[in-house]
Amino acid sequence: MTLAVRDGLRSLRHTPSTPFAAFEDSQVVQAFLDGQDRAFDELVSRYQVRLLNFIYRTVGDRERAEDLVQEVFIRIYRHLHRFDQSKKFSTWAYTIASNLAKNELRNRSRNPLVLFQTIKRHWEADHRPLQFEDSSSRPDDLYRKRHLRELVEQSVSQLPEHHRVVFVLRELEGKTYEEIAEITGCNLGTVKSRLNRARNNFAAIIAPHLD
Amino acid sequence: MNCCEFREKHSDFVDDLLNPQEQSDARAHLTACAACRRFDATLRAGLDALRALPDVGLSHGFRHRLQWRLRDELAVRVPVMARWSGAVGTLLLVATIGFVGWDLLQSRATHRRGAEWAATTLRPAALPLAANVPARVFPAVRFSSLDPRSDAFHPINSILVTDPPGPAARGNQVRYDLPAVWGGP
Repeated sequence: MTLAVRDGLRSLRHTPSTPFAAFEDSQVVQAFLDGQDRAFDELVSRYQVRLLNFIYRTVGDRERAEDLVQEVFIRIYRHLHRFDQSKKFSTWAYTIASNLAKNELRNRSRNPLVLFQTIKRHWEADHRPLQFEDSSSRPDDLYRKRHLRELVEQSVSQLPEHHRVVFVLRELEGKTYEEIAEITGCNLGTVKSRLNRARNNFAAIIAPHLD
Repeated sequence: MNCCEFREKHSDFVDDLLNPQEQSDARAHLTACAACRRFDATLRAGLDALRALPDVGLSHGFRHRLQWRLRDELAVRVPVMARWSGAVGTLLLVATIGFVGWDLLQSRATHRRGAEWAATTLRPAALPLAANVPARVFPAVRFSSLDPRSDAFHPINSILVTDPPGPAARGNQVRYDLPAVWGGP
């Protein structure tokens, strides 16, 4: 599935239920700053799933990712009046999300209990019954799909943290090199170098499973 | 282009960021090198599988929880405002107390001046009264020292002056307490 299709599906999922649906991000931000609280709901609707997926692919823990997405929105709400409106709102939101994800990974590496809880949660998820997933597909198809999905997710999770962030931003979120540089606070050369290494690593990790 | 160069520039090759000459060289290398061809195919297949991953969905109560957290955030902001309004309120209170105190002092000073005037004018020798009292100074001094029922003389401890002296007299009464030496309390 291409990035365009993914974005299309995401936008379809977001029904235009508010008067801000046709607005650009910058207009929605301005509306919120002008005192229209519902504009913030629009920002949440636009970014909640995207940020959840980005953080989830980075930290590998769905529940924790959801908590962090909430934290992203709290910080956006708190500091939106300081946001430089000459820049892209999405880049700013991803920067906050990226920093929180990095902090989470750093804290987790320092706290073995958190690491254990994460592993335990994954173990429980791995052992849930297959028949609850999708009753319309054949069991062997379901197994193959789920297996491939897990392999891909594991391959991403095995990348070093600073490579993983760049890799997810590029491959899943479709960010440009310049945007990634801004989000991660690195220069363009570093982004290119990290992305190239991440892709090489990813290919090396997943190659045995794809053959 | 050799394998090392190809791998080094592979990311840009995938993203079509190489210049036309480099792009052409990379394609030529890909045709000639089976290992790099396999590597390129593996990476592209892996990226396709990655992009095909379904989106992770939000849990049912996500928005509700977020709303609560935003309310908490607002609740944190209110005390900050309250703290400032408290400071402003304290300043106003201090200013009010200061004004009232100043006004009280002014009022006391006025009364003190009146008492001094009474003390200098109502000399003990002028009491008890009548003939010696200059009408000009005491247009309406009423002495209550004489009890009409018992005909007893009570020591004077205060006098009541109707209209302080002056042309703009308007019938106001001012009570002046007299010092004990004059027979007051």
